[in-house]
Amino acid sequence: MKKALALVLAAMLLLSVAGFAVAEEAQTLTIVAWDAGTTPYLAAQKEAFEASHPGVTIEYVDVASQDYPVKTTTMLSGGDQSDIYIVKELPHLLDWQAAGFAEPLNSYIEASNYDMSGFTGIESNYAVDGEQYALPFRSDFWVLYYNKDLFDAAGVDYPTNDMTWEEYAELAKKMTGDGNYGTHYHTWLSAVVNWDVCDGVNTLIDGDYTDLAYFYQLYQDLEDAGACMSYDELKAAGLHYSAAFANGNIAMMPMGYWYVSTLIGYNKDGTCNFNWGIVSVPHKADVAAGSSFGNLTGAMINAKSEHKDLAWEYISWLASEEGAIATASTGTRPAWVSEAVAEAMASADGFPTDDASKAALIPSYVGIEIPASEHSSEISTILNEEHSLIMTREYTIDEGIEEMNERVAEVLG
Amino acid sequence: MEQFSKLPKYRRKLSRHERKKALVAYSFIAPNFIGFAVFTLLPVLFSIFLSFVKWKGGSFDNLQWVGLQNYADIFKASKVAEKGLGYLFTKVDLGIALKNTVFYTLVTVPLTLVCAMALALALNHAVKGAVGFRTVFFFPYVASMVAICVCWRFMMMKDGPINQLLMGLGIPYNKSWTADSTMAIWSIILVSVWRNMGYYMVIYLAALQGVPVDLYEAAIVDGANKRQQFFRVTLPQLRPTTFFASTMMIISCFKIYDVVAIMTEGGPGRSTKMLVTYIYDEAFSNFNYGIASAIAMVLLAIVLIFTLIQFSTEDRYANK
Repeated sequence: MKKALALVLAAMLLLSVAGFAVAEEAQTLTIVAWDAGTTPYLAAQKEAFEASHPGVTIEYVDVASQDYPVKTTTMLSGGDQSDIYIVKELPHLLDWQAAGFAEPLNSYIEASNYDMSGFTGIESNYAVDGEQYALPFRSDFWVLYYNKDLFDAAGVDYPTNDMTWEEYAELAKKMTGDGNYGTHYHTWLSAVVNWDVCDGVNTLIDGDYTDLAYFYQLYQDLEDAGACMSYDELKAAGLHYSAAFANGNIAMMPMGYWYVSTLIGYNKDGTCNFNWGIVSVPHKADVAAGSSFGNLTGAMINAKSEHKDLAWEYISWLASEEGAIATASTGTRPAWVSEAVAEAMASADGFPTDDASKAALIPSYVGIEIPASEHSSEISTILNEEHSLIMTREYTIDEGIEEMNERVAEVLG
Repeated sequence: MEQFSKLPKYRRKLSRHERKKALVAYSFIAPNFIGFAVFTLLPVLFSIFLSFVKWKGGSFDNLQWVGLQNYADIFKASKVAEKGLGYLFTKVDLGIALKNTVFYTLVTVPLTLVCAMALALALNHAVKGAVGFRTVFFFPYVASMVAICVCWRFMMMKDGPINQLLMGLGIPYNKSWTADSTMAIWSIILVSVWRNMGYYMVIYLAALQGVPVDLYEAAIVDGANKRQQFFRVTLPQLRPTTFFASTMMIISCFKIYDVVAIMTEGGPGRSTKMLVTYIYDEAFSNFNYGIASAIAMVLLAIVLIFTLIQFSTEDRYANK
């Protein structure tokens, strides 16, 4: 009996030593991301990186999308040691940097002589006082989605890459009827008025919102004409834009580029089976065609990570052309801009094959949705509150905008 | 009890045996106390501390002592001093949240009590199917809050059943309740009353059982009619219950969050912004933990006042 016990103990000891040896060879990189189970590009990035870096395993820590800012900040505050955090929205990085969660990257960039030319300058949004704190790997700008089948059935020409907002409104009205809506606006402030920043001059944090009136007016005219579902209805029903467009009775919808991969997925699993395409969002007469706005998604190294070198290897790969091609293969738009990447995006399985859709992949200008500043989140709270009052017509457009100006002025001091 | 408290106070050393006994006693409360200290007491104390600092999370090195600045900020003290109290309640987030919360409480509490008492009185008699009705009215209290709110939001939609009903009654109203800045708060009140009245009905039912029958007999002998019986016998006998129920409800109303978060998200505009939704926004959208804690202290002060009233008057009512 004693012998048997000794044998078992010896075996256990041996096994644990062996286990340790194996563990030392294989390296695991933990990455905090949202909806990791259902996001195709995360799977593609993991696969590509693991293939080119044998012995490294990527593990995602999944956080629900709507809880992401709160949960990640709580995790970081609690001293979480996950190696990499995906930066969902720009202001988060600023908060994280201020709190000392983000590893400064300049020394890594210099040591590896890292090429950032493909970012065309947008990486500066992740820099604070000349120090880089994250690298961008996704840059979603907004495009106009349209349902080709509805246009074919109505015998109306498809939208083009060069339309003014007036032409678009006219087209939306033309496509309305028989239970179909000409266009669709999601309830977000960004979906209705963020177009104001496409001119490269205005921003949503400058404290002057007078110019938003144009877009609110455009929206209200369309809503009054029945060319889009009303804000009231969407709010009460909690209808998500992805389901709304997939229903097949909406002719056009301005939405972020991320929806491309959703639509491709929908086409594959049969959720929707119509033909669709994308074009550049419309523009004001005095703004260049192809101008849009968008948001950046990046990756930062947790200052508490124990595998910083490996983490750098990952994020530098992720943001580079090689990583960008993996990202693009799922229909997601990477931050790195090059011919090869555009080719990869257009050749994503399920991406529309027409030339206009391909041309829409290269915007002429992309403004930042809400630039990071000390007051970004307070300003967006105010704008969203006033937005809901204008959209529900509790306030006239002018009243709402006046209050935006007044309240933001107070924040800016 | 009283004669003991008049005895002169003195401390004497505990004998070894007594010390041991005390230790045993403390060890019995220790598990509970440790839990309370770690999960309730320390966070509360930390929150009080946070209300005097500027902190965006992360390392404690980033804490910055600002004294009463957070309080001055949430009350917009300098602006209010300049423009008057009207400014506080129409323009400042805290004032608006306070105004909304107080309004919500002032309407919800009496309305719930009246409904609960009426239901209890109706079901106290041997109505046919009383047990079934009691269950039905209690049901909302055990149902999931999220499900309730989502359903009500649907019913109060622009073309929803409630507006249709109103239309049928000749009251034209064609807007979502939750999208109208005057009606939004009423939709929250309605859901709260509907959900809570069953719970307070049960409390009233229990209290009604405790009203001595001989009081009614005496009243009848004295020639009191039903109405007089209610106002002179039932209502006074229910006073301790009403007092208890209203205090508990006032406290819970000040902490309203779930219904608002699901139904209106504080909107449209700031028309249903409550103290707790305001705390949430500051803490978890803007990550201003100091400011959020300062608002929490304002809420704490209000709730504390009602709790103290409850404690100090408890004996007077409980012994009736």
